[in-house]
Amino acid sequence: MKVRFFGSLSDRIGREIELTPPAAGCTIAELRRSLAEAYPGAAAELARPTVRACVDDVIVPDTYLVSAQSRVAFFPPLSGG
Amino acid sequence: MAVSARLEPDLLDPERALADFLASLSDEGAVVSFVGLTRAANRYGGEVTGLFLDYHPTLTEQSLHDIAADAAARFGVSAVTVIHRCGALAPGEPIVFAAAAAGHRRAAFEAADYLMDRLKNDAIFWKREDGPQGSRWIEPTDADRTDLARWKD
Repeated sequence: MKVRFFGSLSDRIGREIELTPPAAGCTIAELRRSLAEAYPGAAAELARPTVRACVDDVIVPDTYLVSAQSRVAFFPPLSGG
Repeated sequence: MAVSARLEPDLLDPERALADFLASLSDEGAVVSFVGLTRAANRYGGEVTGLFLDYHPTLTEQSLHDIAADAAARFGVSAVTVIHRCGALAPGEPIVFAAAAAGHRRAAFEAADYLMDRLKNDAIFWKREDGPQGSRWIEPTDADRTDLARWKD
């Protein structure tokens, strides 16, 4: 699974990482927790509800189930143009 | 109704953008355009040596188009264009060009005003200011939100 980060999260984690999710998939909430454990410096930001998850170019809730084929991105609050 | 919106990774040339926009028109009587420039100071007066605009490969340009289309529909203008920089900018560089054309001036003024308030709040960007004190990711200001609230029905 490709997970992409923008804005301040890309500073803390990197632009994109490759993860192997559980065979049955995982929810966005579970993915946030896994990422927080792997990247403690980003844990507080990943837990913020204002950091939204985007799967295949659509904003999704934390209950959304993702699989190895999902294109996941995490959006910190937008700055606007 | 002609709506165009695009990201510009290289230098934005406002004169060229305006010339292209004018050349695309037919019999409109009014054109209002706006050019935003990167400032050398942030909202606290600190020096800004560079700005970095992070963007999503598809959703950012889509957001520019959606905002431009909303402006065109809301004010009934015949043409709207937005060109927005992305990536690294130096102080003084143009960051955005926005323009609206209509039969008469009032609609064009209002559409351009609305366009910029929406872009400042809703365009999908993550903006980082770099300066001697370090780097800082920024979010819309209260002033930006107040400006946007003027358009709530």
